[in-house]
Amino acid sequence: MKKTHLFFVVFLFFTPFPKAQNVDNYELGVGLRFQKTEQLYWENGVGADFTSDFLLHKKIHLKLSYATSRIGSAFLSNAIRQDNYVIGADWRFRSTKDFQIFAGLNTGFFHADMETAQFNVLPHNSMLFSLETGLFYKFKFPLATSLSIGYNLINGDGLTVPGSLFPVFYQLSVFYYIGKK
Amino acid sequence: MKKNSIYILMFVLAALLASCNPTPTIDSSMLDSGTISYALPDSLNKHLLSSYLPNPTPTQLNTPVIICAHGYTATTFEWDEFRSYANAKGTFYVSQVLLGGHGRSYADFKKATWEDWQSAITWEYKNLSDLGFKKIYLAGSSTGAPLIINMVKSRFFDQYTSPKGIFLIDPIVVSSNKTITLIGLLGPVLGYSTVELANGEKGHWYVYRPQETLKQLMALIDLTRRDLEDGITLPTGTYMKVYKSEKDETADPISAFMIYKGMKTSDGGKIDVELENSKLHVFTRLKGRDGVTTADTDLQQKVFAEMEAKMKQ
Repeated sequence: MKKTHLFFVVFLFFTPFPKAQNVDNYELGVGLRFQKTEQLYWENGVGADFTSDFLLHKKIHLKLSYATSRIGSAFLSNAIRQDNYVIGADWRFRSTKDFQIFAGLNTGFFHADMETAQFNVLPHNSMLFSLETGLFYKFKFPLATSLSIGYNLINGDGLTVPGSLFPVFYQLSVFYYIGKK
Repeated sequence: MKKNSIYILMFVLAALLASCNPTPTIDSSMLDSGTISYALPDSLNKHLLSSYLPNPTPTQLNTPVIICAHGYTATTFEWDEFRSYANAKGTFYVSQVLLGGHGRSYADFKKATWEDWQSAITWEYKNLSDLGFKKIYLAGSSTGAPLIINMVKSRFFDQYTSPKGIFLIDPIVVSSNKTITLIGLLGPVLGYSTVELANGEKGHWYVYRPQETLKQLMALIDLTRRDLEDGITLPTGTYMKVYKSEKDETADPISAFMIYKGMKTSDGGKIDVELENSKLHVFTRLKGRDGVTTADTDLQQKVFAEMEAKMKQ
């Protein structure tokens, strides 16, 4: 599990930056992500959004996020502590406008903390693969927000996929653009 | 172009409406027809201890009795083998409740709420408590489990003799089929869903599941999950054990973990959970199934013996 964490952090946080520094016009937003799964938990965390002219004139956005129930439904409750590590890419419609529409694909890793060895026989790790679409609004100052709905194509089945991985989720993200040129 | 878009939209809406079929085709061999009824007085009298033993003796009042609640779309049939086991042993009584709305016609099932389902359990518990039974236990399989958990959460037992113990067999807090989480959206289009029954199960389970009842099921299990997140404490002296198949295509095994985390004994202790090497949903019911193995039978008998031993303590 620790190796997976390390790999994810290295891959997601360090890989995009050299590219970003070599381009003339890029946008890098970092911020907070609030996720509610339909009929399940609040899972909150952090996220980043990157685009540049070399990504089809900013029509493609690359993103990464970490959301967990530890600072959501499982905070001071008996909800299952679970983590979502996600990378993805969106296609932006109206990419030159303040108000944009996006659709994209995400993948990543899901982990549910079974806490005791007895329950470790149950599936608690899974690959994530989801479709997502939503609205994005860029404010005049370096803030932006997005509201989206997603569908996890891999979700719990009682056999091999963790049971607390549900299909439909909603996300609200707020980004602060620190690298805008 | 705009006209074309409107035509496409109208076609999609028409297709959606055409796919709505709220009334399935029911034949008389199905439980759904109402021809076969578990709710007739004869059937209820045979299954409910308060009916077949209305004037218990002092010895009988000191004998353990276990109220067994079946799952969604099932009938008392689900606990018949445990009743046979109890009859053979003679050390405890079994009272098989027929959940409200179940074992009747499709129309009766369609209009029942989960509170109606639960009312059959509370009714029998009250009767047995009022008759003076001192050692009352509960067993819930599948949906029977969240119905019993809700009775604990709502402090139902405060007014009656506290249960000595609660056994949950393959409880459902999370469905393995996650499409049910979208029942609020898809329900009107779906109308109902259909299940394939083995020959030995026909006439004992509903074939059709009206979307209204799937919404009730979702409401019940979602409420149970949230109640467990807040924490539920058992009545003083009440024991609880969960038995759960490790693979289950109906009640997701994560349900057992949620109950383990959410339920506490009155002194703050953990409840017992045992994960079983089984792929059957409600592995204690083998009658009517196809392909039952020796391992399945051994597991069933082991769990029945454990429940009996606990009640004899």
